[in-house]
Amino acid sequence: MKSTKPKKLDGAKLAILANRFGGICSKMGNTLLRTGRSGVLNRAKDFSCCIVTRDCELLHAEESLPIHVLSGPDLMARSMHEFHPVLKRGDVFLHNSPYHGDSHPADHTLLMPVIDKAGVHHFTLLAKAHQADIGNSIPTTYHGTARDVYEEGALIFPAVKVVENYQINEDIVRMCRMRIRVPDQWYGDFLAMLGAAFIGEREVLALGGEIGWATLHGFTDQWFDYSERRMVAAIKAMPAGKGVGKSTHDAIPGTPPDGITITSKVKVDAKKALISVDLRDNPDQLNCGLNVSEACTRTSAMIGVFNSVDPSVPKNAGAFRRIELQLKDGGVVGVPRHPISCSAATTNLADRVQNATQLALAAIADPLGMGEIGCFCPPSTSVVSGVDPRNGQPYVNQLFLGHTAGAAVAYQDAWMTMLHAGNGGMCFIDSVELDEVYTPIIVKTRRLIPNSEGAGRFRGAPGIEVELGPVDCRMEVGFVADGNINRPRGARGAGDAARSDQFRRKKNGKLERLAQCSQVWIEDGEMLISIACGGGGYGDPTTRDPNRVGRDVGEGIVGVARARDVYAVAVSKNGTLDTKKTRDLRRKKSKEKMI
Amino acid sequence: MRFACDTGGTFTDLIVEDGSGKLSMYKAPTTPEDPVAGVLDALGLAAIDFKMDRADFLAHGTMLIHGTTHAINAIVTGNTAKTAFLTTAGHPDILVLREAGRIEPFNFHVPYPEPYIPRSLTFEIPERVGSNGKIVEKFDEAAVLRVIAKLKRAKIEAVAVCLLWSIVNPVNERKIGRLLKKHLPGVPFTLSHQLNPALREYRRASSAAIDASLKPLMARYLGGLTERLGAAGFAGRTLVLTSQGGMVDARDLAERPIHAINSGPSMAPIAGRHYSGGERKTPNAIIADTGGTTYDVSLVRRGRIPKTRETWIGRPYRGHMTGFPSIDIKSVGAGGGSIAHVDGGEILHVGPESAGAVPGPVCYRNGGDQPTLTDACLVLGYLDPNFFLGGLMKLDVAAARRAIEQQVAKPLGLNVMQAAWSVVGVATENMVQAISEITVNQGIDPADAILIGGGGAAGLNSVFIARRLGCRELVIPETGAALSAAGAMMSDLSSDYRAMFFTSSADWDEAGVNAILKDLEASCKEFATGPGEGAQTTKIEFSVEARYAGQVWEIDVPLRKSRLRGKAALVALIADFHDAHEEVFAVRDDGSVVEFVGWTASVRCRLGSGRAGRVRHSAAEDIVLGKRKVYFENHGRVDTPIHSLQSLKTGQRKKGPAIIETPFTTIVVDPGASFLLARLGSVHITA
Repeated sequence: MKSTKPKKLDGAKLAILANRFGGICSKMGNTLLRTGRSGVLNRAKDFSCCIVTRDCELLHAEESLPIHVLSGPDLMARSMHEFHPVLKRGDVFLHNSPYHGDSHPADHTLLMPVIDKAGVHHFTLLAKAHQADIGNSIPTTYHGTARDVYEEGALIFPAVKVVENYQINEDIVRMCRMRIRVPDQWYGDFLAMLGAAFIGEREVLALGGEIGWATLHGFTDQWFDYSERRMVAAIKAMPAGKGVGKSTHDAIPGTPPDGITITSKVKVDAKKALISVDLRDNPDQLNCGLNVSEACTRTSAMIGVFNSVDPSVPKNAGAFRRIELQLKDGGVVGVPRHPISCSAATTNLADRVQNATQLALAAIADPLGMGEIGCFCPPSTSVVSGVDPRNGQPYVNQLFLGHTAGAAVAYQDAWMTMLHAGNGGMCFIDSVELDEVYTPIIVKTRRLIPNSEGAGRFRGAPGIEVELGPVDCRMEVGFVADGNINRPRGARGAGDAARSDQFRRKKNGKLERLAQCSQVWIEDGEMLISIACGGGGYGDPTTRDPNRVGRDVGEGIVGVARARDVYAVAVSKNGTLDTKKTRDLRRKKSKEKMI
Repeated sequence: MRFACDTGGTFTDLIVEDGSGKLSMYKAPTTPEDPVAGVLDALGLAAIDFKMDRADFLAHGTMLIHGTTHAINAIVTGNTAKTAFLTTAGHPDILVLREAGRIEPFNFHVPYPEPYIPRSLTFEIPERVGSNGKIVEKFDEAAVLRVIAKLKRAKIEAVAVCLLWSIVNPVNERKIGRLLKKHLPGVPFTLSHQLNPALREYRRASSAAIDASLKPLMARYLGGLTERLGAAGFAGRTLVLTSQGGMVDARDLAERPIHAINSGPSMAPIAGRHYSGGERKTPNAIIADTGGTTYDVSLVRRGRIPKTRETWIGRPYRGHMTGFPSIDIKSVGAGGGSIAHVDGGEILHVGPESAGAVPGPVCYRNGGDQPTLTDACLVLGYLDPNFFLGGLMKLDVAAARRAIEQQVAKPLGLNVMQAAWSVVGVATENMVQAISEITVNQGIDPADAILIGGGGAAGLNSVFIARRLGCRELVIPETGAALSAAGAMMSDLSSDYRAMFFTSSADWDEAGVNAILKDLEASCKEFATGPGEGAQTTKIEFSVEARYAGQVWEIDVPLRKSRLRGKAALVALIADFHDAHEEVFAVRDDGSVVEFVGWTASVRCRLGSGRAGRVRHSAAEDIVLGKRKVYFENHGRVDTPIHSLQSLKTGQRKKGPAIIETPFTTIVVDPGASFLLARLGSVHITA
């Protein structure tokens, strides 16, 4: 083997190699999307592909779901090395243990070490995909009320070798087939992930052959240093200070009656170019499925930070050197301990960690932070199951039929389709037609809800209403909603988004409110109604550009009365502004504020 | 004679193929207010060259193939028709939600995209068809009439209709079509199931919305083109290029104008494939077409031109999906007309704003007062002020110099030459980035590819681009200045027919499949004997979109024969699918049922020879040879020999610095590079 000292790469070479690694991740992702069997993969794209270095440091994950990757791939790769000190070419490991670095058990992850012909390990590839089912005790991948992992029921794989010398270990496949609902679907998704890993390995091996491994490792060091320098410059340009943010998840069985309040204390130290997030002042772990794994706690705080940092700073181990996190051992967020359940660790409370962090940043100064991003997971994103009367086959899958949730920042309205905070808007929304083919349902309505946005100088997304029901059968649905009592709040004087809600429309047409955390049957002829939140605004709504308000009115997002009362803008129904009246309204509002 | 005419942002390129197969090239300024005038101007130039009067000359033409940016320009500038969107009640936000998805998840600067048709022009129609095609909610005709009354009052100019499940049961879309025809006469409409019979309501709705919004202006444009060509004496056939890299009759395209979105640029890779050698084993090629306004990059990968399944107008997830596959082209705002300016932070930008055809660069003396890439090249000595467009246009060096001096050199504290060089440097970097993006996406390493430079401004900085990318060779074809038009000369008349028919390996319906294939073949044959009549060769190819049970994205598997008869044919098809799946995705699932969803027959009729002839050289190319002072970085102003194409001996390698002048392009070879004239008349440069 040639062993040359890595030479210093110029800016252009660095950029090209970074793009090459990015291209490998995209290719892996494309494989997963195109070959996945469950809707959660092939319709919603709820998966991520990334690369870590031989030292288990995150190298590239740019177009992944943020909650999947900022932290976790590093921890999982470390556990792989710990449990398997000798790695061989063609090995692949299945990992879904939240106690060893995975996000939550529903995110099955395949880790494939890239090993050259000489047997030297160079990089590790990860394909992480949310499964339609993981063998939980009830047909959902978010078991909100599980008092521990045993009640949750998931099969846990702490970096288990499933492929050796490119051959699948059929023992493990048989185990999974006995314990995971709709086993053919699971196996197809497993193959899709494996295809992604194989394709990634092939590409990285080719890249190493072409560029030379020494140069590639030299590249990663320089790329991390460059990323850190970019992060230093970005933090130095931010207003310094300390802020505290709080965000509360609604109560469900197993939580205190007032819900769970998450506190995030953030310090931006421009001088040291360091941002620290202290999450120690939080409750102990609880006997429910909402506990947030270490990977997701770390990641949520980091997303909250990065959402206020110059977006062109690469997100990798280099930039992460400038973020300091303090976690609570045994906390409901922090480092929950086995056998407590982390079933819904990527969404509900993790989103509250991110939102609290964003509110803490907003408390420091405009333009930092953002409003609260809307809550997960409403019934429009439930896990549904039953028997399809068209073919007599059982089915289980998560729907992604309607989401908005986007929150405003100091300089722009919300990106509407965020899904939830940790997702960053990366998932797709299901095509109604595709869902109706693959699941025995009909989607009667999917529409934005007027006057439900978090008002502000820049506004949050409006909420969305979805009505769906089973066709010629009954259907079991599971969801863990949030945001009915504790609505997504606005930042720096902005308004909150409207509340979430959920109903059953009975055969007689009457509406029955369902519990926020439900596992219920919807009978043939009944409909499920999902009201999902939008997101919080940013800044005083009466300082919003009246033209933007006019456009929202013309487009039916905001009504004439709300424009007048909340935004102090006089506008007709078709969106035509009355400039003089608006000026008067705003003058009056600012006088009121002075008093 | 055949004419190929490509209207770009700045120039209208014309290639004439005479009876002997020789080519001649012409360029006339594009006339944005009335692009047909530019086409006629170019034909006028050709007539003069052929020493005929224009009517006479046009009467010799059998075919005119046209590429146009009219459709995409209208979308980008927001000049499409005021279009309404009619959809199933309960689902008004199909165009607002799109399919969600995002790039750059930490970038909150980017606004959420506006829907292609606003909510205020979206109307819900009470009706619903189920996924099995059965009526779930009754169609409410009275409600449709009320909507039509509103459309009238709102002075709607076009209507897009997309109802859920219209691909399974189109009855309600058809009813709306009849009502629109009757009660809103003269207002064009598009029914989604007719235009793009594909699953996924957003894609179908987006196709319909874009198509309808283009109908009024494209019908006017293409009608005007045919009519005015006829009035000028042309009695041949007018064909227009499509985004898929084929061509169709102008009147057919007016019915489906969405296919004109990448008309023109889609031809560059077809020409590029020819000049790169075209065979399977040849290296990969990057085709970069430098116009006045945009820089279009496309690829040839081992002899094949990659297509994208998903064509976006704008960036993915931030723009609009056309719903159709198209030739993969990356376009950025960089070209000869790109304007150079220094911002408040003292950073030099070149483009994306362009001086376009009007007013054009400062040196054109048409009222342009902002310096452009062309002005910088003139100042550096790359362009000969007396031999631009073969001497048709005199360039004003002093004016270009003044503009660079005042607007670039002074604010940056550089001398004029350094400033002009910086403009070229920044433009080069923008172009390199565009190439990197598409090659990364397609997994091609530029260092392993040849770069083919097309477009009038390609020769000015392609050698710098090639060096920056590490490309092994730069090729400037002799038709390079009009590369898209040259590609058009080689393209085929084509049409694709697609039918949805579901069957699987578990319950294979041989009779059903063969009935579908028979229908598709009949459509192809009808095309071949209709629009394709008189073709030199006709080829029909069949393929099926297939997937494993549970997947929702299919891969195309070519059929070995036009019918599938007997068990062996099915076994072979299934084996082909497994192999294709493994090749693309590295895994196969031999135990899984294979589902067959969509069946396609493509017919291609070759009207020309399929190859470009050689360029006819005219007297106008007698260029003053000799030397002039040209500025290069690290060398300063250097005495540089000037060559014409004819003065070069085929196969003889020479060293830079050198300038090679042709009537429509100037090729700059810097010190350190070498070049030779190759067999097909192309100049090959090693940077």
